[in-house]
Amino acid sequence: MEKVLLKIENLHAGIAGKEILKGIDLTINEGEVHALMGPNGAGKSTLSAVLTGRPDFVVTEGSVTFRGRDLLAMAPEERAWAGLFLSFQYPVEIPGVSISNFMKSAINAKRKAQGLKDIAPGDYLRLLKEKMAMVKMKGEFAKREVNVGFSGGEKKRNEIFQMAMLKPVLSILDETDSGLDVDALKIVSDGVNALRSPQTGFIVITHYPSLLESMNPDAVHVLKNGRIACTGGMEVAQKVQTDGFESF
Amino acid sequence: MAAKVYIAGRDEIPRKVSLGAGEELDILFVVFPGADCSIEMDVDLRGPGADAQIRGLYLAAGNQKVDIALDVRHSAGGCHSRQLVKGIASGSARASFYGRIYVAQDAQKTKAYQENHNILASDKARIDTKPQLEIYADDVECSHGATIGRLNEDEQFYMRSRGIPEAEARVLQMISFLAPVAGLLPEELANQVYESLSQCQD
Repeated sequence: MEKVLLKIENLHAGIAGKEILKGIDLTINEGEVHALMGPNGAGKSTLSAVLTGRPDFVVTEGSVTFRGRDLLAMAPEERAWAGLFLSFQYPVEIPGVSISNFMKSAINAKRKAQGLKDIAPGDYLRLLKEKMAMVKMKGEFAKREVNVGFSGGEKKRNEIFQMAMLKPVLSILDETDSGLDVDALKIVSDGVNALRSPQTGFIVITHYPSLLESMNPDAVHVLKNGRIACTGGMEVAQKVQTDGFESF
Repeated sequence: MAAKVYIAGRDEIPRKVSLGAGEELDILFVVFPGADCSIEMDVDLRGPGADAQIRGLYLAAGNQKVDIALDVRHSAGGCHSRQLVKGIASGSARASFYGRIYVAQDAQKTKAYQENHNILASDKARIDTKPQLEIYADDVECSHGATIGRLNEDEQFYMRSRGIPEAEARVLQMISFLAPVAGLLPEELANQVYESLSQCQD
């Protein structure tokens, strides 16, 4: 029997007193890839913000359990330690902090929470090199300040790099494919496919079917007006491509 | 030549400095959390080609009071000066920065820059900054910039979403803010600065 990774029940949430999610039900089992499509303003990014615990977003009703735990009661960092990852639609620049130090802090924070010692410098370096090669980043990449002066494509590759470094159990890709050329898109889909396993899950938020084709999702959902309006397979993504969201 | 480092409360920071033709001043000061302190420096570039560089950082915590007043006077032409002061006020600390660049009428071809950037790490801390330019020559290149801000919340959430706890995220942000000055210090002292940040968390 499949094991449930994430279970969202009747989730209502919003920001600044405005309800955006109006009753979401979604279950993701281990090993599954779910695509989330929908027009702008449908609530796709709000859902990823609520799942990762972004301050300012308020849940007014419903529940979310992640690997059996009450996700909504956890701090953002605790959600990360439990294996949740968000590839940001708009990755944030952190001047003065190198990618290498950033990732080392993140990995060691999780290890500390698990009662482990810091990662050995040699092991860290090997991991860094392996994952950099995966996203086709050169040696200086790790020394660069996080996202500072990065092109749009580099920022998205950096998100995939971080995902690979942190080995999450459930990854949410929030429009990671937007604005990417064919080569960068391949790096993203290769990165996702490398992380796929019978134990990991993905929520892929996208406007385009092309990323989905290489991923062969288990379900495609259309989110509209804060609710899931339709669920199906790749045929739903194709219908979006040909008919737009009006028809849902 | 590396900058001469002064630690407030331990070293006597020169009160008045007068630079003749071609003379140089390069100092770095550090204010640690703890005792009140007042740094006052008057620098006079009175000979052509003199060069003054003053950089510093302060960490104010608890009820500490930190006052920094820098007065840089360009009396002669063709001199350069640069000021860069960065600091963090936490707890119910108070910090003030006063910085003046004065360029005399005859001091043509002056290049003078001043920057003061501050972070308020708590609701009760207070920071005042008063940058001033007084320029009487017409062929000069001068600029100043002053900011008082808070730690960026988008940065914080980004770090926390990667598993870095809130307190550690704040320290990382502070390190990144101070790096342009702290990075110039001898490594051991820079580490002391970074370790002191744990006293500036609220």
